[in-house]
Amino acid sequence: MTKSTQIDPVTVQVLRNKVASLVDEMHYHFYRSGYSTIIRESKDFSCVILDRDGKLIVPPPMFFHGLAYRRFVERIFEVYESEEINDGDMFVSNHPYEAGMPHVSDMGFIAPVFFEGELIAWSGTIAHKADIGGTNPGSTSANSTELYHEGLLLPPMKYVRQGVEDGDVERIILGNSRHPDLVRGDIGAQVAATQMGVTRMKENAERFGGQVISSAFEVILKGAAEELRAAISSLPDGTSSAVGYMDDDGVDRETPVKFAVTITVDGDRATFDFSDAGPQAKGPVNLRPSMVECCVFYCLVGALGPDLQFNGGMVDVVDIKYAPDTVTNATPPAPVSSYQKSNLRLVDVILEAMAHFAPERAIAGSGSSGSLLLSWQGGGREGHSTMQYEIFGSAYGGGQAHDGCSMTATHLSNLHITPIEILESEFPCRVTEMSVIPDSGGPGEYRGGLAFRRRYELLQDALVVRRYEKAKFPATGTSGGNDGRKSRFVRVGVNGDETDLPAAGRYEMKAGEGFFIDKAGGGGYGDPKKRDPEAIISDIAEGYVSIEGAKRDYGYDA
Amino acid sequence: MQKDQQYRLGVDVGGTHTDLVLLNTATGEVSVEKVSSTPKNPSLGVLNGVQNFISKGTPPGEIEFFSHGTTITTNALLEMRGAKVGMLITAGYRAVQEIQTQGRDGNPFDYFYDKPEHIAPQSLTREIPGRIGWEGDEVEALDERAVREATRSLKESGVTSIAVVYLFSYANSSHEERTREIILSEFPQAHVSLSSEVLPRIREWPRMSTTLLNAYLGPVLVGYINDLGRGLDAVGVSTQQRFLMQSNGGVMPFSAAVQGGKTVYTLFSGPAAGARASAYLAGEDAQKGIVTLDMGGTSADIAFIEGGSPLEVTEVMLARRPLGVPALDMTTISAGGGSIAWVDRSNFLRVGPRSAGADPGPVCYGKGGTDPTVTDADIALGFLNPEYFLGGSQTLDKQAAELALIDKIGKPLGMTVLEAAAGIRRIVDLRMADEVKVFGAKRGVDPQEFTLLPFGGAGAVHAASVADELGMNRIFVPPRPGAFSAMGLLCTDVVHDYVRSELRPMDQVTSAHAEEVFTSLEARGRAELIQEGLDTENARFERELDVRYTGQGYELRVSLVGLGGHEGLTNEDMVTARQRFDEKHAQIHGHAADDRPVEIVSYRVRLRVDVPKYEPVLLGEANEVSAPKEAIKGTRHAFFGVQGGVDATVYERDTLPLGATFEGPAIVEQFDSTTVLPPGWRGKIDGYRNLILSRGGL
Repeated sequence: MTKSTQIDPVTVQVLRNKVASLVDEMHYHFYRSGYSTIIRESKDFSCVILDRDGKLIVPPPMFFHGLAYRRFVERIFEVYESEEINDGDMFVSNHPYEAGMPHVSDMGFIAPVFFEGELIAWSGTIAHKADIGGTNPGSTSANSTELYHEGLLLPPMKYVRQGVEDGDVERIILGNSRHPDLVRGDIGAQVAATQMGVTRMKENAERFGGQVISSAFEVILKGAAEELRAAISSLPDGTSSAVGYMDDDGVDRETPVKFAVTITVDGDRATFDFSDAGPQAKGPVNLRPSMVECCVFYCLVGALGPDLQFNGGMVDVVDIKYAPDTVTNATPPAPVSSYQKSNLRLVDVILEAMAHFAPERAIAGSGSSGSLLLSWQGGGREGHSTMQYEIFGSAYGGGQAHDGCSMTATHLSNLHITPIEILESEFPCRVTEMSVIPDSGGPGEYRGGLAFRRRYELLQDALVVRRYEKAKFPATGTSGGNDGRKSRFVRVGVNGDETDLPAAGRYEMKAGEGFFIDKAGGGGYGDPKKRDPEAIISDIAEGYVSIEGAKRDYGYDA
Repeated sequence: MQKDQQYRLGVDVGGTHTDLVLLNTATGEVSVEKVSSTPKNPSLGVLNGVQNFISKGTPPGEIEFFSHGTTITTNALLEMRGAKVGMLITAGYRAVQEIQTQGRDGNPFDYFYDKPEHIAPQSLTREIPGRIGWEGDEVEALDERAVREATRSLKESGVTSIAVVYLFSYANSSHEERTREIILSEFPQAHVSLSSEVLPRIREWPRMSTTLLNAYLGPVLVGYINDLGRGLDAVGVSTQQRFLMQSNGGVMPFSAAVQGGKTVYTLFSGPAAGARASAYLAGEDAQKGIVTLDMGGTSADIAFIEGGSPLEVTEVMLARRPLGVPALDMTTISAGGGSIAWVDRSNFLRVGPRSAGADPGPVCYGKGGTDPTVTDADIALGFLNPEYFLGGSQTLDKQAAELALIDKIGKPLGMTVLEAAAGIRRIVDLRMADEVKVFGAKRGVDPQEFTLLPFGGAGAVHAASVADELGMNRIFVPPRPGAFSAMGLLCTDVVHDYVRSELRPMDQVTSAHAEEVFTSLEARGRAELIQEGLDTENARFERELDVRYTGQGYELRVSLVGLGGHEGLTNEDMVTARQRFDEKHAQIHGHAADDRPVEIVSYRVRLRVDVPKYEPVLLGEANEVSAPKEAIKGTRHAFFGVQGGVDATVYERDTLPLGATFEGPAIVEQFDSTTVLPPGWRGKIDGYRNLILSRGGL
């Protein structure tokens, strides 16, 4: 690393605050001008400022996107000569392999920031598109077997050339979408937000000087690297491994998907080796290094002190190894659409291995997240959409001196649940139960978080698509703690008869039928026999643990 | 009004100080008192302040109007000192209070995440069979026996306050109302909060959270208001014109507060009073646009006023809990006089979010503080007068401040005292400016043409450099920046807000039906006014609809002002309302779609009753004259940058005559605040004794 130009700490902090404010402003601008409910309600997008090499400066709210941009910038440098990258250009790509994008539905736009002829930064955005083609409406899939099933693929290419947008690429995109109006509106908003980042960074350069900005970025990135290096060197040297399984890949229902990591700490460096991962999957649960990297640094920051800076400087401190054609280093055209549940599974595995080094931040497995889609066949409720889409969180595992949080989005995921009163007002369904499942939190000295049961009655025929897992492999307990309760997806016939269904699948249901969902509970931490009796008494009083459960799981006689 | 009753009193209780403003309506004269707050028994501090006025010769019987803002409920929440609350919910839905929104706040990397402590734990929650459908239809009858049993068991558990939150109660409140009857028959002393009264709005979690807050804090507020009422009686302030400030910028009579049902409307009364004062007292500027900067000990609150009214939101977060009542749209950053400067592990200079607060306070207070703060930087740079803090009633230890600055900041970063102090100030000022810029961008507001209105103890110390950063040219420093919020208490009307949700596609709602909903809300408002002993003749009603495009997850408030004559709303009015929605959507979000279907989510009525207000008095012509010598207290070496200090002229605010002008570098001192003019700024006292700063002699 080159020696940074002398720059005073006040200016560094001022510029860091300015970039944070700018990211906030881009985020809001995008949000308020986006068209689709994906942007408006789920806020499934990110905005960033990067240094000239593509390294993240401050994390966006959807922080796990932050490190994926670097692969996009690197690929641009591979494809284009430096003199071909000009002021006023903007690049687009949704390619999971070439540009490191999370999945095909996530489209990235990035633009170089030039000042006095020098490239000083990049401005970028990634956002989920309502439909980009592929075999399924909405493009996302639980059972695709090739990347090509998941939508139109755009390798990194110029969307705007020196300020001129000729519209060719847009026409290709819109020509491949089932919802071109929504996609056109969102792209417009995304281009504007990306452009705003460029404009504001140029204003900052006018004011502070391009060299000052580059030096400040260097100091900020180096600061994060040094913080992380110091945190790693305070860990004991050694090696720790962990393995975890996902129910299946959505296509081959018989074979669990294996995630594995070996972490080695040697002085102030750490190595994360994913070579023991299972073979790449037939179904869309594969990950690429850009996503694995997000998981690794999320876990490092979470385990070594959640106030560590999270930016592109961290990557210099850690080595990551993969074996080819594995589920965490897939080869094209392996499908990737359901990457998030793999991310969440991988996070559990990495944190399990991290516990060896940082036991005070040890945490058991968490319950992951999943979606529910109902496509109303009877026309839905008049004046409202026929597509009902919900995302459900689960529960955190218990940790060192900490019970897992119940009923929450976990780790990388942070989306909101739809209120019952909104659902019943807009869709022909009735939510007849939203209850606490007693004993669903994995027993432990520190209990796993509890899961909920949500029951639906259908007032019209509907196509029901569920994307989840943890019906076979629950959230694991750790350090003597027990596993959390498994998930269930149960069809309830007109006569009240119950049938368990796979956690990921597509079902035709009739009016008068219904179903309920049991989310998975978090794993327990530590020997349940050591749980503070006061905590058990309180859990019983609050209905979190049953009297029988207290006796069975904790050996506690009420 | 009788001639001998001529005073109006505004009292604003803050965490450390209680500010009192007494207006003599006969002369227009305003006097200010500042006393220590008494958190253990807050009415004591208020009465102490009132006594000060009485002992200086104000006959208590001649105080005709008493208006009060207090943080007592907010503080009780922050310290979790509310009532013991039980809750009745619809059977089968215990997870609603657990899952909340499902989202996490705070540091996203901290997986040891906890939600805020339950106000009503599951052990004090009872499930009541009975279900209302989305259209307000009864799907299952209320199980009255279950209500009775639940009430008995909660009473036995020592609960004093009961929240009732049933699904879809906003569409049909009969189950909740019947439940209250049963509760009161079993447990007459119980404080009952119905979700259908506190917030009859769709979305079960925000409604539950708001109702729980009301149940938790209602008894606290009622007890306090009763105490204070008795205290006022005892000191001879016999007027029954006693009012309490609310988050919506209006007041409610004590008689409404002691009913307890509107407690949640008082939780953001402090900032609302300041914004109300800005909108009312800076008349012309408020029409053009104002950025308010309320910089106190721990934080800086920023709000916008456009077209004479503060921007509002309908849901706020308080102590991490959603609260669904209209409140000032405000952003808060941790940049107060007490914000602590520190060096992080990467050797970056940081300011906040920790604050030294009032105790121990900044190092210079000499009360045991050891961490340098923004105030310590201000004193090291020469902006504050160590001998003249709170009018000289307290002195500040400049040397101690400098030692802490060098020790905690200078040494680790290789900086001098002045570099450290200037660095702290630069970081704080630019953060405030950045926050104004981003907040403005989010609300579609360009603050450059606006006036900056600083108040709070530290606002005017930092205002000019914030304005410099934003390119703003005009600053309005009110006569008493430190007591400005208390002033706002004398500038308000009685305001009650009513809301009712009924989610329907707009084209399915007839104008007659809309009229019926509004009329019923207005009837409720009238009934409450009569209960409160107020005049319904002069009540004004403002109607609004919450509207959204079908499929959107949030709504915009559309005003129906000017619509619905004597015959009530017409079909044309509904078409106009729709057009107003499209226009507002375009204004705020940059685009609209008049061909897209929309739905009505809620109906709102805001009721206003005039109460006597402070009228700013033009004290005389403000013909420009140079500031006279007798207003100059001397000069002080002050550092506007690190490079070399300059001698700033120091003025005493109270001796500057109307029309007095002066140039920066200057420092204007007064009892409750200090105003700093960097070089290039010019000050002028206007005819109302406001201090107007302009840049570049504009």
